Amino acid sequence: MLTEYGTKHAVHVITNHFGDLVAKVCECLLRKGPLTRQNVKRYTELSDEQVKNALLVLIQQNCVQAFTTEQPDGFADGPKANTQYVVLFDNILHRVRFAKFLTILSQEFDQQCVELVQGLLEHGRLTLKQMFDRAKSSEKEGNLVDLDSLRETLVKLVTAHYVERCPASEPLLMPISEEEGPARKKGSKSAKKIGEPETIEQQVVEAALPMEAMRFSVVTNVESDVGEKEKNSNNVTPGEKRKHDVLELDECGVADEQSVVYRANFEGFIRRLRHKGCIDHVRAHLDDGAANVLSAMLQATSSAEKKVKTKNSVPLSLSSIYEEVIKSEAGRNMTLDHVRASLVQLGELSFVDASSDSYSIDFEKIIEIAQNEEVESVVSKRYGRDAYRIFRLLSKSGRLLETDKISDTTFVEKKDAPKILYKLWKDGYLLMEKLVVTGARQSQFLLWKVNRQILWKHVLDEMFHAALNLSLRVSYELDREKELLNLPADKRTGPLQDRYNRIRKVRILLESSQMKLDDAILLFHDF
Amino acid sequence: MSKRKRPDSNAPSDSLTDHERLIYDVIRSKQDMGIWTRDMKRELRVNLPDNIVTKSIKSLQNKSLIKEVVNIHSKGKKHLMAVEFEPSKEISGGAWYSEGSLDTEFIKVVKSQCLKQIIKLKVATLEGISDSIKRSGAFKVDLTKQQIEEIVRALVLDNQIMEVKSNGSGEFTNIPVGKVCYKNVSKGGGGGEPKTGSLASIPCGVCPQINICKPDGVISPKTCVYYTKWLDF
Ligand code: SF4
Repeated sequence: MLTEYGTKHAVHVITNHFGDLVAKVCECLLRKGPLTRQNVKRYTELSDEQVKNALLVLIQQNCVQAFTTEQPDGFADGPKANTQYVVLFDNILHRVRFAKFLTILSQEFDQQCVELVQGLLEHGRLTLKQMFDRAKSSEKEGNLVDLDSLRETLVKLVTAHYVERCPASEPLLMPISEEEGPARKKGSKSAKKIGEPETIEQQVVEAALPMEAMRFSVVTNVESDVGEKEKNSNNVTPGEKRKHDVLELDECGVADEQSVVYRANFEGFIRRLRHKGCIDHVRAHLDDGAANVLSAMLQATSSAEKKVKTKNSVPLSLSSIYEEVIKSEAGRNMTLDHVRASLVQLGELSFVDASSDSYSIDFEKIIEIAQNEEVESVVSKRYGRDAYRIFRLLSKSGRLLETDKISDTTFVEKKDAPKILYKLWKDGYLLMEKLVVTGARQSQFLLWKVNRQILWKHVLDEMFHAALNLSLRVSYELDREKELLNLPADKRTGPLQDRYNRIRKVRILLESSQMKLDDAILLFHDF
Repeated sequence: MSKRKRPDSNAPSDSLTDHERLIYDVIRSKQDMGIWTRDMKRELRVNLPDNIVTKSIKSLQNKSLIKEVVNIHSKGKKHLMAVEFEPSKEISGGAWYSEGSLDTEFIKVVKSQCLKQIIKLKVATLEGISDSIKRSGAFKVDLTKQQIEEIVRALVLDNQIMEVKSNGSGEFTNIPVGKVCYKNVSKGGGGGEPKTGSLASIPCGVCPQINICKPDGVISPKTCVYYTKWLDF
């Protein structure tokens, strides 16, 4: 379920990147759910052409996915298929993370890889030929691009799961039948827990996904000379938004190098960010040693992860962990005893589960604690120390507690506790229940509780709200100093220079806050 | 002969007026809970005028039959109790209250003593903390185990210490496996101030107005005073 500010934030991102028209169509899909083109037109009151173009942009940028459903009891002339469009909320959020993705990449790969992915992020989807043209056009002297090395780069990135083949353009979504359960074609996906409810968005994404082997493979047909212009190749200059063909692309058509379209695999990047987040969290709570050990465990097990939200890593023995630790520069001077001690520390905080000499990372626990801390810090800053203690008590106990009991346990004055509890309740941080006891005299007790599920959604909505506000303030500040910012450096003197310095600092602070806040959104939404 | 006192036959209560007797019986029936004057009046079976009630209470107090106590739930309200009772925990607030207020100074001292012992012991059980405090002689009166436990629990809520279970080896060598112990929170939440999170470090994260702030509202990010203050370089 999308929250109000989640929607507003997403629409704002799309407005910033693609303008009002595309944003209007996007908002319509966010608010109404999957729609046919006809219905988008009806709700947005835009022309057919406008809707079509907006959808093409959104599809090209991987923010919308088309699908068809078979009408179960169709008409006499067989089942009627109609194309619908579903918006991919997560992919919209990823748009503000491109810089993070590229940073990860630059730590693991060379510049050519970074540039290739940069192109994919900018254009959404590209064929090898288009990547080549793009590389050619920005070719620097003495640094010639050749197709073979580009192909190699692509293979490297695909193997690392940072780039993938684009999904089917318009998969068929089977109506879920009661007896059989959802029809699934992919082995890895059917491992999903039965009964876990899936949104239409997830179902469509899953149905569109190529099989694992195909998803991460590069088609090469070296025989045909790709450098040469062919009659049917699309002559689009790089830099232009490519929105041709995406609707018509044939899923199981001839897999020829010319027609295969690639895109950045967001999942791959989010998985790395999740790992990084866990390592940072461990470093903040323990020390570099423990962080090194965790990082080595991730290194050794990440290839076995099937999805982003993995609960536990596959178990490792002490010796294999040690072997991995000393592979890294940071871990080279760690002794086996040191590693063992770090594992004990990690176990104490439940970050790692130890059983019969094998160790497995408890991702869920690490993330849960990081989330708790984020919320507790808001409570502490917004409502004060007493509220912090009260909140932690309720959050840890996870059940209803009575006002007096709360004030006793937390050492908060009897007269203050109800006020604090009421404030937290009013702002959506607590649930309240009234208990009326009818005895000799009727008396009423108030019981309070933290419901994580409800609260987390609420906090996430506040984060989206804050992200929107930050972004609006950035535009406002920059807009106010537009003229000054356009002034050549030598014209900025005296008070102008002071104002310039101020806006520079403002910008740095606001933009770094945006990145940091997005870390929190990742923590609550994506991890 | 029973040694138990029988207040009924006590000399002062023999000389009570009818009104005083009525009032006294209601108050005494409440034992260690006592009663608020207004509630007491309601419980009297007859309707007595205010001035009579006030006079009777005065007289009962003079005869040392009843006393006024502080009720932590309603300070300032006149709460009455028969002299032979001590206010229950519900009324007095228990060991951590003095004169109807939370004894914050005392709590602070006990907290810091407990924390000191935990840091000294590195890993400590409740008994360990309790013994260690006793030996240190920091307090004239002995704290009960329950009192220590209450303080330790509050320290956990303060995020100054954490609860861990002994695994019987390493620093837990002398502690049975599975026993609950306490450790100082070394990093991160150290010092008890929670680490400021990403949301809490920007104005909106700690803003009391966030629920009414709208992009084009009266309170909006463009006109926001918290931002203006934050960006005042
Ligand atoms: S923009 Fe200002 S008023 Fe609005 S939520 Fe943020 S801090 Fe509060």
